[in-house]
Amino acid sequence: MTDRTSTWPWVVIAGAAALSFTLAMVSPADAVQGNLVRIMYVHVPAAWLAYFAFFVTLVGSVGYLATRSLRWDRVAASSAEIGVFFTGLAIVLGMIWGKPTWGVWWTWDARLTLTAIMFFVYLGYLALRRTTTDPHIRAKRAAVLGIIGVVQIPLVHFSVTWWRTLHQPPSLIRPDGPQIQDSLMLLALVVGVIAFTAIYAALMVKRVELQAVEEQLTAAELSVDRPVAGEAVTAPDLALGGEA
Amino acid sequence: MTAGFWVQARSVADRDLLRERRRGEVLWITIPFGVIALLLVPLAVGTDIPLLRRIGPGLFWVIVMLFGVLVAVRQANTDSPAQRDAAALLGLDPAASFVGQTLTSALLLVGFEVLVGIAAVAFYDLPLQGWPWLLVVFPLVALGLALLGTLAGSIVSSVNAGTALVPLLVAPLSVPLLLAATQALEGLRLGRSILSWLLLMATVVLVLAIVGVLTARPLQETR
Repeated sequence: MTDRTSTWPWVVIAGAAALSFTLAMVSPADAVQGNLVRIMYVHVPAAWLAYFAFFVTLVGSVGYLATRSLRWDRVAASSAEIGVFFTGLAIVLGMIWGKPTWGVWWTWDARLTLTAIMFFVYLGYLALRRTTTDPHIRAKRAAVLGIIGVVQIPLVHFSVTWWRTLHQPPSLIRPDGPQIQDSLMLLALVVGVIAFTAIYAALMVKRVELQAVEEQLTAAELSVDRPVAGEAVTAPDLALGGEA
Repeated sequence: MTAGFWVQARSVADRDLLRERRRGEVLWITIPFGVIALLLVPLAVGTDIPLLRRIGPGLFWVIVMLFGVLVAVRQANTDSPAQRDAAALLGLDPAASFVGQTLTSALLLVGFEVLVGIAAVAFYDLPLQGWPWLLVVFPLVALGLALLGTLAGSIVSSVNAGTALVPLLVAPLSVPLLLAATQALEGLRLGRSILSWLLLMATVVLVLAIVGVLTARPLQETR
């Protein structure tokens, strides 16, 4: 049972990545962007996962405050870590795409800037978690930040609608339906989103397990009596009048 | 018998205002520092008046955000651990304490905005179209920053790296307020409606107030 639990996430990750990669490669090149469009099949799912992961952090944070169960905190923390990774990936891929398309690595586009700010909000969340070893104190502080931080998600998503920016409007989640006309391109994108979500789920399972083990390890380390100043200082033997 | 919620909040606000009146940190340190920052910017970007007139409103809000949040964080962490323990033992509602601290910070921040704003108008020759709207914009931004700073102060209190951590936590989260405030001033300059930006500010204030009140007790337990 334990073996199966520890193996299946890797199978899911490998399978989903292979499927997504294959479809991204067999889909046609874009009439305007050429092969550069293939970055979209990783960039869009990564951006979607950033939103989704931070929303799960919100759910975990509220769950912890409501139940005081550390399981919820582990979910929140693990999701934030994965979300930070995918936000960083989305930013880097966007920059790689932006250089040949816009001529610059970075432009002061509303979505780019707000996504970078969202990245730093959750980097702060992870930094806050490192400031204490007590799991419940850490969980309470982080939960509050996990709840406030989520206001960034609608700002980032709707920034392209609220402000006139270089970044194109949403491709999939639109009131008038997906913008992409070619069915194979749309399939590759939708499958990419599903595959990346499966990868997220698999990573979450592993990270939550690891988080529990880390907590046990920290608790074990803190429970061991240690010499106050290491081996360099020997406590005086009071029974001999401090002459030892 | 324990006093009601608003009586407790008022008492906390009165105490913090009295403390500020005695120490004068905001009036004699933070506000002059903000004005100095306004003076430094032209030395870095050039003293071209049309340029300063164009970027002045944005610079003013950036200074309000960066300095204002520090005012609120400082206000939230003025109690010693012994004072906090005594307040808890006396039955002070953590949510009332949060509201009281926030109201104090908001009041001080409105003063900060007004005085630094006057300096910005003088230094950068800023236009004053639609200035009556500032009577709504200033309190909303002040309240939002006060809520954010008080929350951040509560989160990092008793944390060793708290001072270093606060800017990282607060600066990105103040972005909705910064955007709404700068766009509101830009809208006033161009004679456009700023209601949507006021709505964004009010939403941020509401969300932060709800989160702050609901999480006041759990955060008190971490101190």
